[in-house]
Amino acid sequence: MGPLSSRRAFFNWLGVVPFFLFSFLFLILPTFYLVIGSFQDKNGAATIQNYADLLGPQTVRTYLNSIEISAVTAIGGCIFGFLLAYAVILGGLPRRLRTALMTFSGVASNFAGVPLAFAFVFTIGRVGLVTVFLKDVLGVNVYAAGFSIYSKIGLEIVYLYFQLPLMVLIIAPAIDGLRREWREAAENMGATPSQYWRLVALPILMPSFLGSAILLFANAFGAQATAYALTGGSIDIATIAISRQMRGDVLFNEGLGYALAMGMVVIMGISIGLYALLQRRSERWLR
Amino acid sequence: MTTRHTLTRWAGLLATSTLVLAACSSTGGGGASAGASAAAGAWTPPADLLAAAKGEGTLSTIALPHSWCNYGEALSTFAAATGLKLNELLPDGGSGDEINAIKTNKDNKGPQAPDVVDVGLSFGPQAKTDGLITPYKVKTWDTIPATAKDADGAWYGDYYGVLSFEVNTKVVKTVPADWADLQKPDYKGQVALAGDPTVSNQAISGVWAAGIASGGSLDDATPGLKFFKDLNAAGNFVPIIAKTANVASGETPIRIAWTYNALADKDSLAGNPPIQVVVPKTGRFGGMYVQAISAFAPHPNAAKLWMEFLYSDQGQNLWLKGYCNPIRYDAMVKAGTVDTAAQAKLPDTSGTQLPTLDQITKASDVITKGWATEVGATVK
Amino acid sequence: MTAAGGGSTSPIAPYAVVGEVLDKNRTATRRRRSLGTIIWWIVFLIGVAYFLVPLWSTLSWSLQAQPFGAAYTNTLDDPQFAATLLYSFTIGIITVIVSIGIIVPTAFWVRLRVPQLRRLVEFITLLPFVIPPIILVFGLIRSYSHGFLPLTNTDIGSDALLVAAYTVLSFPYMYRAVDTGLRSIDVQSLTEASQSLGAGWLRILWEVILPNLRVSLLAGAFLTLAIVVGEYTIATFLARPAFGPYLALIGGNKAYEPAAVSLISFALTWAAMGVIQYIGRGTRITVAGAR
Repeated sequence: MGPLSSRRAFFNWLGVVPFFLFSFLFLILPTFYLVIGSFQDKNGAATIQNYADLLGPQTVRTYLNSIEISAVTAIGGCIFGFLLAYAVILGGLPRRLRTALMTFSGVASNFAGVPLAFAFVFTIGRVGLVTVFLKDVLGVNVYAAGFSIYSKIGLEIVYLYFQLPLMVLIIAPAIDGLRREWREAAENMGATPSQYWRLVALPILMPSFLGSAILLFANAFGAQATAYALTGGSIDIATIAISRQMRGDVLFNEGLGYALAMGMVVIMGISIGLYALLQRRSERWLR
Repeated sequence: MTTRHTLTRWAGLLATSTLVLAACSSTGGGGASAGASAAAGAWTPPADLLAAAKGEGTLSTIALPHSWCNYGEALSTFAAATGLKLNELLPDGGSGDEINAIKTNKDNKGPQAPDVVDVGLSFGPQAKTDGLITPYKVKTWDTIPATAKDADGAWYGDYYGVLSFEVNTKVVKTVPADWADLQKPDYKGQVALAGDPTVSNQAISGVWAAGIASGGSLDDATPGLKFFKDLNAAGNFVPIIAKTANVASGETPIRIAWTYNALADKDSLAGNPPIQVVVPKTGRFGGMYVQAISAFAPHPNAAKLWMEFLYSDQGQNLWLKGYCNPIRYDAMVKAGTVDTAAQAKLPDTSGTQLPTLDQITKASDVITKGWATEVGATVK
Repeated sequence: MTAAGGGSTSPIAPYAVVGEVLDKNRTATRRRRSLGTIIWWIVFLIGVAYFLVPLWSTLSWSLQAQPFGAAYTNTLDDPQFAATLLYSFTIGIITVIVSIGIIVPTAFWVRLRVPQLRRLVEFITLLPFVIPPIILVFGLIRSYSHGFLPLTNTDIGSDALLVAAYTVLSFPYMYRAVDTGLRSIDVQSLTEASQSLGAGWLRILWEVILPNLRVSLLAGAFLTLAIVVGEYTIATFLARPAFGPYLALIGGNKAYEPAAVSLISFALTWAAMGVIQYIGRGTRITVAGAR
């Protein structure tokens, strides 16, 4: 196990060098300023006050809001996205619809920010098409009943527009991997559909499901433009808090903005750790 | 809405769109330099400065939307007169973004660094203290009022506007005449600001002005927060950053914005839908913006040339054409160089209060810090 | 004809019985399948409604401009529209190529040779999600406006920096798509089979792995292209003539044109993806052991 294995080990590591080099140059290095900056105050002196500020009740609530919205849209996006993807891949629909959905999802998953916010304002805003339709044709006044697009619920509805397609795209290869023969084999052995799902399909899909859920969570967590456009920055979520610190004047405290961003990184780190734990357990039988 | 009718016409449009394109492209776009000029003669660039600027070749501006104070025409006129290329950064930016851009690009001589900035009054002195701007006194320096410029020449007022209500009269039948009217139940879910009151100068001023009209003053901005708190509780306030499209669609048919922005919208919408610009009876609040040259400008001579242009009679009149009150207005009226046609179009803004620097700093602090907790338009 | 009753002694009888039971099963299955299909159609149509109605609202709003279609003719007239869209598409295509070039070998390698690095690589690929683009771009400018690699000082350098930033942004999607794809093919067997046939690493990647990843790569490419075309923050701060900043430029003060522009760009990007899909279609290569 001498020179051959160490040469092999070297060769192994060499294969991932391009990735690590690229990531270092264009992701880690710029982020470095983020870390350094979070320990600086307005005048550049070293401080941990920014991190102390993170623990204030206002900031905690900010993070909780972000987590709540991200979790809701991640789960919603996962479920509905999965159903939609399954419908076109294995649901017996014409093949062309699958292609259309895939390409559409590619575009829709990045339809965000001001255009998306306004599209929904035109749809379910106070004088939106659907609102007016519901009021005039069906006699249902949703705004009188308390609904407003300028709310957490409204934002979640809007977020789904890019969460759903993302799920569709990510889960499609996994559904593809669900060989039809397995289902037929299961049926021939007398399994009911629910048994098939519980014992065959879901366990196979679970790792991809979890991975997608985390991805969707991170996607929503980092979203800013859409929320800002829809609520004028008045909704209290982490990304808006950060941009406020980076952009404003009186509130301008870059160090705090960096610290807030670091907080986001930590939360993401925890979710990824959770994902890793879950995945290890559900992947056991695949090995 | 007759969707079927619209669809058939839409199909027809698609079929003939190539012809339309061919016809349109020959007439070209933009109405730059439409009939150069009114009362004042065209500006001639000073020769030495022009030569130095030409050596640099480009001017990098930041956060100058073309319909803001008629900047579109100002930029194209400048480019035509000097032959310089224009590099326009961050059109949707606010004053904070502009200062930030200077800071971030301190060591960068590339196209990301701005040469000149146009920021709210309160940003000037701080930028000077931070060493981000460099002094320059234009040829017409003496005709700029002393209260509107930094004695050392670091920053200098360029124009001011007054806060008004931009009203979509297709949706709003009884137009509000004053701030107090906005609280009426007629305007449920109809009133919005044009920016984020924690970062946007325009929005902060909106809150402040509302306060002045309801018992506050230039020294006390807290009634403004209460005004919007009540407005929000009554359900009249819509927390979105209202753009022209929101006003036009009827989603936020009453928008609080500077007169020049509201009037520019009125022109560009051309009756579809009809807009009325109302300067409130009380609480007339004026906001001044200032120009400055970046201390790290990649093209310092181009920057100086731009300033000479803006403070020339022609430059000032172009702002006037955009419904902004240029800072040399009084001097130009006296000298008879003001564009009378544009002057006639300005709304009556008598009784406008312009705050001092200290008042602005104090009020901004109060409003930006208090907005989230007081008004919280806490999106539930 | 039931099994019970009658004392049939024909030797075929048991087989006939079994045959009939299987028949019943198959019909039941078929009936269950067509009921299932209806349900999936309903699911699909609900999804379509959710996606298309907001687009429809935007369309009907854009058509309110006078004279009819003015929003669209104004948009198409503007030379900036075509220029910025073309720029963004070009950057997008380059980003897709660079991203695939980095991610596919890496994912393949991690899966095959250094699985212990998987968590680290995954964490790195998810970082772009968490780092707000505004912070990323500030960091990039600070890093590359001077020093060892002054990219921002030139236009070409800034373009390169933009591609690099977008490649980083595409990592989460590209890696996850490729990883899912690799998971569903038997990479180990494919590689060993190819190696035993004498293929080198590059050949394996290019001729065996890549074709099998077609679906994943297309998904990743779609997402990357859409990200690039719609992106605003990084393009703006790097002062690039991209589509996102253009959209913001006209969005501020025009009422109808922004709706028209976002719809046109939506349609064009969709069409571009249709083209990519068309080019990328073809028979899946199957190798013994993979199915």
